[in-house]
Amino acid sequence: MINPTNKVCLLVLLWIMGGTVAFAQTSTEPRISGFFPGVSFQRFVDRVEEDTPYQFYFRSEEIAGLTVNLQADQSQLSDLLDAIFQNTDMKYSFGPEYAVFVSRGQKLQTQLTDGFFRNISSGAEELGEGVDEAFVRNNRFVIGELSPGKNTATLRGSISSLESGELISGAIVFEKIDFTRSVTDVEGNYAITLPVGKHTLYVQNLGGYVEQRLIDLRGDGRLDMAVGESIYSLSEVVVNSGAISHITRPEMGVQSLSVSEMKKLPAVLGEVDVLKGILILPGVNTVGEASVGFNVRGGAADQNLVLYENSTLFNPSHLFGFFSSINADAVEGVELHKAGIPARYGGRLSSVLEIQPKFGNSEKIGGSGGIGPLTSRLSLEGPLGKNTTFLIAGRTTYSNWVLDWLEDRADFNASRANFYDLNLNLKQRFGENDVFELTGYFSKDQFQFDPDTVYGYQNQNFAAKWTHYFNEQLEASFSGGVDAYDFDITGEDNPLNSYEFGFGMNQTFAKVDFLQDFDERHRFQYGIHLNYIELRPGKIRPYGEESIVVPDEVEQEQALETSLYFSDEFEINDLWMVSGGLRYNLYNYLGPQTTFTYPDGSSHGESDVTGETTHPSGEFIKTYHGPEFRISARYTLNNQSSLKAGVNSMRQNIHLLSNTSVISPTDTWKLSDEFIRPQTGIQYAVGYFRNMAMNTLEFSAEMYYKSMKNLLDYRSGASIILNDDVEQDVLNTDGKAYGVELFLKKSTGRLNGSVSYTYSRSLLSTSNEEQKEKINDGAEYSSNYDQPHHAVLILNYEVSKRFNATFSGNYSTGRPITLPVSKFVYGGSERVYFTDRNAQRVPDYLRLDFSVNLEGNHKVNKLAHSSWSFGVYNILGRSNPYSVYFVPEGGKLQGYKLSIFADPIPFITYNFRF
Amino acid sequence: MRAANTYGSYVLLALMGLGVLGCREIFDPEVGEEASGILVVEGYLDSEGLASELTLSWTSELKESGDELSPALGATVYLLSEQGTTYSLEERGEGVYLFQEDISEQMTYELHIELPGKGTYKSDPIQPILTPEILDAGYVRDESGIEVFVNTQGNDNADDFLWTYEETWVFLPRIITNFIYKEDVGVVERKEEERISRCYKSERNSGVLLETSSRFEDQVVFRQTIKEFEEGDPRMQERYSVLISQKAIPSDAVEFWETLKKNTEDIGTIFSPLPSLIGGNIHAVEASSTQKAIGYVSIGVVQQERVFIDRADILPWSISMDEFNTCFIGTDTIPESQYATVFASGSTLPARVVMGPMGPIGYYTAPRWCADCTLYANREKPDFWIE
Repeated sequence: MINPTNKVCLLVLLWIMGGTVAFAQTSTEPRISGFFPGVSFQRFVDRVEEDTPYQFYFRSEEIAGLTVNLQADQSQLSDLLDAIFQNTDMKYSFGPEYAVFVSRGQKLQTQLTDGFFRNISSGAEELGEGVDEAFVRNNRFVIGELSPGKNTATLRGSISSLESGELISGAIVFEKIDFTRSVTDVEGNYAITLPVGKHTLYVQNLGGYVEQRLIDLRGDGRLDMAVGESIYSLSEVVVNSGAISHITRPEMGVQSLSVSEMKKLPAVLGEVDVLKGILILPGVNTVGEASVGFNVRGGAADQNLVLYENSTLFNPSHLFGFFSSINADAVEGVELHKAGIPARYGGRLSSVLEIQPKFGNSEKIGGSGGIGPLTSRLSLEGPLGKNTTFLIAGRTTYSNWVLDWLEDRADFNASRANFYDLNLNLKQRFGENDVFELTGYFSKDQFQFDPDTVYGYQNQNFAAKWTHYFNEQLEASFSGGVDAYDFDITGEDNPLNSYEFGFGMNQTFAKVDFLQDFDERHRFQYGIHLNYIELRPGKIRPYGEESIVVPDEVEQEQALETSLYFSDEFEINDLWMVSGGLRYNLYNYLGPQTTFTYPDGSSHGESDVTGETTHPSGEFIKTYHGPEFRISARYTLNNQSSLKAGVNSMRQNIHLLSNTSVISPTDTWKLSDEFIRPQTGIQYAVGYFRNMAMNTLEFSAEMYYKSMKNLLDYRSGASIILNDDVEQDVLNTDGKAYGVELFLKKSTGRLNGSVSYTYSRSLLSTSNEEQKEKINDGAEYSSNYDQPHHAVLILNYEVSKRFNATFSGNYSTGRPITLPVSKFVYGGSERVYFTDRNAQRVPDYLRLDFSVNLEGNHKVNKLAHSSWSFGVYNILGRSNPYSVYFVPEGGKLQGYKLSIFADPIPFITYNFRF
Repeated sequence: MRAANTYGSYVLLALMGLGVLGCREIFDPEVGEEASGILVVEGYLDSEGLASELTLSWTSELKESGDELSPALGATVYLLSEQGTTYSLEERGEGVYLFQEDISEQMTYELHIELPGKGTYKSDPIQPILTPEILDAGYVRDESGIEVFVNTQGNDNADDFLWTYEETWVFLPRIITNFIYKEDVGVVERKEEERISRCYKSERNSGVLLETSSRFEDQVVFRQTIKEFEEGDPRMQERYSVLISQKAIPSDAVEFWETLKKNTEDIGTIFSPLPSLIGGNIHAVEASSTQKAIGYVSIGVVQQERVFIDRADILPWSISMDEFNTCFIGTDTIPESQYATVFASGSTLPARVVMGPMGPIGYYTAPRWCADCTLYANREKPDFWIE
């Protein structure tokens, strides 16, 4: 059997050396592949003529001295010619029978086709049967009817993929004179308002290719465009949507990562990790490699809203936190809002992480999958009938051998672990104006560390969304769903003491959202969200018939959250753009519930209890409400740079009770109640944004200050699990965080990547009113994730289109830790005495990773496209301490440091697509 | 509510089972400002007149290598009943203060500690608890080793239990020798009081063992594990004994012991709880004092039960004591002329007689560390020991 890796290498080699022109006949147009390292135009022509039916016509003297320096892979000739002729006055046009006319100065008029003067007005489809793409590209589409006195007109339409037929969201439609632009929404729709007249419209999709359309805009109209995806950007002027919106969007602190970007990053055991991928972004850090929990701008891990479309994921992790449980094949990309959180999102204090699901392509049924050391995954997507597309993706592990292997390498003492996750997404169109989407997500983990204790947890999410387009200006979506999370532990140490412990929560939500373009400069969004949460804080019951464990249960909690929001995006003039939003949150903590009563002003200590109150079902035991403000503004300095500022206030009614430094699999959630108030926070931020080198370099500098109220910390000796009266064990805590984030990104070119540096602090203090206990005597102390310096470097080098290598480096200050200050003897052993919380730090963290991605060739008719990823995580083999501690051994104290991955962890993954 | 603590630790224990995830290396971290000189008070005072000890000590610097605790000496310690009766504790040296009084269990008491120049401390009121008897203590032998357990039953007054134990076992050295070198007489057989081939090794428990009876039906704590050891353990060289002490403690004390356990025993895994401040029921008398104290003193009745296990009852049981695997009897004959040079230092012992045609011509040798059990244990048979 041929080693597939070698085979791929060989192909790449041949391809680089030979500069051969591969030609694959597609249904529409000949495509060109090859490497042209500074060859003469004549030679380029020879090769193209040799491999395709194209015939060139030109005067030799006009092309003298013209060289071709590019690399093409399944490219369209027009794109290549655009690139070659850029910055020259050479023009080209296509004639019948693959004739190509090249001339200087004036474009040669070729034979006019019937459709050449076709009036593409409102609602017309651009691509009819048999109209070839070259025609489309060079035809000037006449849009709308001229009407006197109107100087501008709005062009709308959708952008779809030529290959898959899928609508493309996030594509940019722009023209280069005034740099007017529009980004397609999730449905692939764009709207752009331009002066009446002739324009060249460019369409830019993520991934860096540009298509152009010539239009003659006479009035409002519609132009749907299908753009190719398999050509690569050859043009010098590469504009990607990120780069432009980077400057023009009013909100700050928004960062997106596409799955293709994430796939290039080296990952533990080669698992493409959607949640760990965002750790390369500035302002995002983590307390340890063992947790998918992340901390955004000095906020706790439970202050991040992780949304899979409309579903909230409460614990999106596998293997007790080592990997995120989101299958990258089912996801388009993620967008993280660290500030400038849109008013339509709420419920968490620090950030919103939107995970955009894939709904499958509309062209043909295909699939993808991968085999890695830890998991295998398979997904299938495609059309079901004309108006329906679907995606189903699953992932499962055969991790036991890895665990054994890791056990030697990483002292990974899990004996058995199993997990899987499933995604099911469906999209159905009803006519022109209605889209129905279903998303389903399911993940389950089960592991066992000793033969007696089995631990399991699962996420179940299901959501439906119906979007209706009332007219060009107004759309509405109606969505609803259920999010469930639960975990359980079964202990069977001996039959009499066997027990089963469980925690669970259910969230049922309904949302109505409107999006309205109001005249040309306002964009309203408004809606109402209802969220009903039921939480079963914990119950223990005997397991097995012999068990004498007494069942116990903490009473179920329930609450209703109602939020109304309105926001407007208003472009005041070319310089100023403002986005303002208001969200009003009403929270009702509902009966039935039995609660303790405490005297007013008491600190809810155990000794303060004066009685008990029983609240009947449906009673509003406690109501909290308050507004949240989301304001951001952009001031354009020039085409390349802008200043932004924003204020964001947030409320959070649900709290993760965690007395460990990372999110642990037994952490439970708690609803705000009579005594535990909703967390509130406000963030002020300013930023400077600049694009450089023709928009290929994006730079940003952001500064923020955040203050938070009603955070939870825990008194000494607090116990969280099966606690009926958590208020007695928590300490009301204030928080503040501030920082500066610098980010430089180059998203195109052979060498691309990003570098970020963050200086930030995150400090807590027990609030003044708290009487139970004051941590560090009420002084400020570092939060568990206060890591002032954090720098990330990502370098990706595209050796060729099929071969790229990524190097990443990650440095951060060690996390704060509480170390003992003295020792004493008690209970027959040396013991340690702790005083100040988080007064010391573990040593600094430094990790370098490397990965290589090899793509198979792109022959269209191949059965399956394959790719390989391999690399090494933690090349230095540095044992980055996760924690430092003292334990008594035989009664004597010994200091230790614990690191998660102390060795280089190599990985190899095989991926395929069919 | 109280039960919550124990449940919590139960679940926590399940997580601790995750074991040491990650790589553990010995490390000596920089620690912050040391805080020594905090009074540490430990004791469970028996209310029925059995002699019981209260230990007073000071916290010491982490880096201090001394094996001993730094005892708090010269304290005046007394128990004050709610009726005003005082019962003094007698200082026995090394920070140990002896309590031996039969006191009423119907009253509450305060423990007073006066340390001249170092503050005055007293406890919160303590209510004596009558610890229920141990219903049964025994052991099970299974494929992995031996588990010693107790069964007990709580009641309305005694819900939470703390167990301590002291193990004793026969320790046999790898090489048995009955000879001794004496400067004046040469090599002779050892007398009874010079025996080094059979010792008794004792160890007190160093972990915290807690359970709450109300978790179980009828408050029956069934098969509470006291001690587990795996096959191969040298405890079963011949005969093993463990004295289990059962102490009922008030629910407040559970929090203290839980914190003690969390801070030192459960630390060091990824999901370990964050360390917390430890206190107890002893405080400085002057409210303004910055003097702190650690410790939870309880009063009650200690219930004890001793379990013996014989090697013969648990066979097969191979013994692994790898540290002695390099022990061999030397093959060079040491003639009488060399006795003084070889044996005088005491590190090499005469092990076996070498017989010549005319009688003994010398001895084969053994290193002392392989043959002398008194290096590791005590020669004297404990009083309680029954063969």
